[in-house]
Amino acid sequence: MGIIDFTDTSVTYPGGLTALKGVTLSIEKGEFVVIVGLSGAGKSTMLRAVNGLVPVAGSVVVDGREVVGASRSELRSIRSDVGMIFQTFNLVNRSTVINNALMGRLAQVPRWRSFLGLWPADDKEIALRSLERVDIVEKAYVRASDLSGGQQQRVGIARALAQEPNIILADEPVASLDPVTSHLVMRDLQRINEDLGITTLINLHFLDLARQYGKRLIGLNDGRVVFDGDIADVDDEVFRGIYGRAITPDDLVDK
Amino acid sequence: MTTLAPGIQTRPVEPPRAATYLLPLGIGILATGIVGLTGPVGPLWGTLVGLVTFGVLAWTNITRRWIDALILVVGGIVGLSFFDSVLAARTGKIDFKIALLAGVGWLVYGAATGIVVYRHRSEYRATIIGLQALSWGGGATLALFTATAMGVLAPLNARQISNGEIQELTIGLFVVTGLSAAAVGLGANLSFATRLVTLFATGFVLVLTVMAYNEIQFSTAAIATQLSRIGEIADDFWPPVWKWRKSLGQPETFNIIEPFIETFQIAIVGATIGNILALPLAFYASRMTAPSNIAYRVAKSFLNVVRTIPDLVWGIFFATAVGFGNPFAGALAMIMFSLSIMAKLLSETVDSIDIGPLEAGRAAGASHSEVIQYAAFPQVRPNYVAYALYIFELNIRASVVIGFVGAGGIGRLLNERRNFFQWDQVMAIVIVIFVSVLLIEWLSIWARRKLV
Amino acid sequence: MTVPDLSPNEKMAQLRPKEPMGPRITRLVVTILIVVPFIWAVVGLEISPERIYRAPAEIWVLLTGMFPPDFDDSGRIVAKLLESIYIAWIGTVMGAIFSFPLSFMAATNVAPRWMAIPTRAALSAIRAFPELILAVILIVPFGLGPFTGALAIGLHSIGTLGKLSSEVIEGVDEGPIEAISSAGGTLMEQMRFGIVPQAMPTIVSYWLYRFEINIRASAVLGLVGAGGIGAEIVGRLSFRADWPKAGAALLATIAVVLVVDAISSSIRRRIITGQPSRSVLSKGMIAITGASRAPSTEIKS
Repeated sequence: MGIIDFTDTSVTYPGGLTALKGVTLSIEKGEFVVIVGLSGAGKSTMLRAVNGLVPVAGSVVVDGREVVGASRSELRSIRSDVGMIFQTFNLVNRSTVINNALMGRLAQVPRWRSFLGLWPADDKEIALRSLERVDIVEKAYVRASDLSGGQQQRVGIARALAQEPNIILADEPVASLDPVTSHLVMRDLQRINEDLGITTLINLHFLDLARQYGKRLIGLNDGRVVFDGDIADVDDEVFRGIYGRAITPDDLVDK
Repeated sequence: MTTLAPGIQTRPVEPPRAATYLLPLGIGILATGIVGLTGPVGPLWGTLVGLVTFGVLAWTNITRRWIDALILVVGGIVGLSFFDSVLAARTGKIDFKIALLAGVGWLVYGAATGIVVYRHRSEYRATIIGLQALSWGGGATLALFTATAMGVLAPLNARQISNGEIQELTIGLFVVTGLSAAAVGLGANLSFATRLVTLFATGFVLVLTVMAYNEIQFSTAAIATQLSRIGEIADDFWPPVWKWRKSLGQPETFNIIEPFIETFQIAIVGATIGNILALPLAFYASRMTAPSNIAYRVAKSFLNVVRTIPDLVWGIFFATAVGFGNPFAGALAMIMFSLSIMAKLLSETVDSIDIGPLEAGRAAGASHSEVIQYAAFPQVRPNYVAYALYIFELNIRASVVIGFVGAGGIGRLLNERRNFFQWDQVMAIVIVIFVSVLLIEWLSIWARRKLV
Repeated sequence: MTVPDLSPNEKMAQLRPKEPMGPRITRLVVTILIVVPFIWAVVGLEISPERIYRAPAEIWVLLTGMFPPDFDDSGRIVAKLLESIYIAWIGTVMGAIFSFPLSFMAATNVAPRWMAIPTRAALSAIRAFPELILAVILIVPFGLGPFTGALAIGLHSIGTLGKLSSEVIEGVDEGPIEAISSAGGTLMEQMRFGIVPQAMPTIVSYWLYRFEINIRASAVLGLVGAGGIGAEIVGRLSFRADWPKAGAALLATIAVVLVVDAISSSIRRRIITGQPSRSVLSKGMIAITGASRAPSTEIKS
């Protein structure tokens, strides 16, 4: 049994669209997994199935806990152990960097304390340490909107780290960034995976980044897994199989 | 300018514009007033109506040729003289038959306008003539009949008209029928066959205005009379008296300050508590942040109902509940008042927030209220502060009058002095209110500008 | 799973900033500015815990006293409600007619400064008088009745509509005005073709919005004898036995205001977006008037 087990997992949105169709696979603790596929193939949906942000059917077991049919508080407790990083950073722009990072502590802090903004010193320390890990602590009291895109994404990573997670889900973390910053952020994520042993699932759009940083690669097409294997086994032929077409410069970050 | 070869491109029919008849309508109202004052002279009335219509057609670039003006004026004179004579020749009440007959006069006039439009807009075919004639004639008949039914013409129906009275009595008749017919006709004129909605709207606005004007006994004459004796009225109010005895045997004192402070206190309590209570409600009343669809609907309907009830009715309600003359009632009323406005304004702002941070909060395992506090509220905080200041300003204005219903504050004093017919003391209070409302408005504008 | 501390060397490389004091001080000042006047007001109004404790029960007594409402007098209620609507309508029409030219005179991009500034001052002076106080004054020359109420509401509406409309006029795009003046257009033509087409939809929607507000205002004018449903509610609330009738009047008022709001806001949406809204009500209107076949740009232009 891995840390994440998908068993015949499907996701059907309220509108009737089925974005994930019967996925079965297992992810081991400490793995660094890259998910690729065309847009609309179900990459984002697969990540969100892990922390129950989408309506899941079948079975998803995360760290021994079932996501499907979990109550609200069970779901919150699962989510608090799973950090998430977003393509558009999803920071609260008007709040300071430290307050954004502290959002990762909300699930651990008593409600009356977070209501009044009286964060326990330990939680503040965790948030600051997370910011240090992604090298952005000197901006702790700056408003998030005053940072550059790369810096904002690092705050997004710090927010996930502040949860002290077992798993990190990164949904297209570099799609809004320029090539140089993309590499920096990918290296940050790689280091976190290696240093802290946090299981990491990343959706990527760029094939060269996937090849450079990934260890295990999952290819999705139309909601189904069409490839699952070691990155070393992946050649252009495999990508063609996943994408259904030849690779173009648009699929690479370093053109 | 050189002319291109014709027939290559088809010119589309010019769609009429609603705004274009607003000015002619104003001229029409003015013209009817003048005609009404000079008496029921068919030819003069017809000439004016014809010229106004010509003005509209010129305005909408349909025609500017004098021959068309002539057609319209002749049509107007013939049609309206007929209308006039039907009304003058009748002996009994204006019933539907007479209204219909008189309407034929307008029908003739409508045909004239139809001919003019057809001369220049032949793409509308001959139907336009019929439509124009019908709308003018029908409009006039309807207007005449409704006016009678509504009782505008009651004096006209009640007795035999003597020569001396006819002028005065027909003013009303002409104003009502002329206005309705002209407006409905103008609407038809512009709407051609496709613009039924304009016709409908114009007719509706006119009928409602005439009905309301009549029902509340609006009287321009009264305004004119009272304006002419403004000096007399001012004597009652001026000079303002600032000091008076609270009761017999007591010295004269300046009594405005105490209730004035009370007004301020009511506004402060109302705005503070209302703004705080509005916070959770606003997030419930936005689809972005409502915890469930049911909660959203409940919050939204609650706010809609609260918003329907005017501040003073809240005042009466709470004064009845907790005791008349009690400022606590005023504070409660102001809480409901502030709550409803703030929750509405804020929930509309929340509708347009970025949902990304909310998803991030949920993904981090935060509860619904934590997501709202840490991911949603910071996005609308500047708006919240600006609205809060604005609501404080509104509260001061509203709490000034809340005392009228026995809910405390300066309104209570004003009402009390009014009941004693002490108009010069009322004036002093009104001046204090006026100055403070202006001051608060300026202060609030200044503070909001500082914030932004 | 914890984030391990970095080695001392790594820690030296990054300097943790000190938490700045500025926001804290601001927060403290704002808190004091809210809390102190609030306590002053609560003490001044003698709102004791005992009062607050008693209030819900007292409100409950009144609410249960009003229900079930007694609709025996519904004829009278309907007549008075209609009167309120008439007052509000005439007030709005007055406000619209007189504020329209005034709003041009108060707009700094149309009128010269010597005209705009006094017009503006006059408008804000009119606005400073609440409708009810205007009614109190106007009753002296015009007597009790709905006519006085309509005048009071009309006057106040001139002030508010004049201000809002002049702001709309000031907010129009200057480009078309410049184009017309460069083509030799007079000031009148600039207004007619440059400003009115841009400002009109918003101004008309303000008129409708004002009507919604005036309905509420006219519902309370009865308090001072200026007509409408207000007197009905107040009078009935004074006697406990009449509470069910007051409840009926109140319910009817709420219903009418809700309906007028719904109609007016759907028309406003239509005017502003140029698109018919999809409410049941407007579908009915379209069915009656055939408006959907009209070009949707008509009012926008």
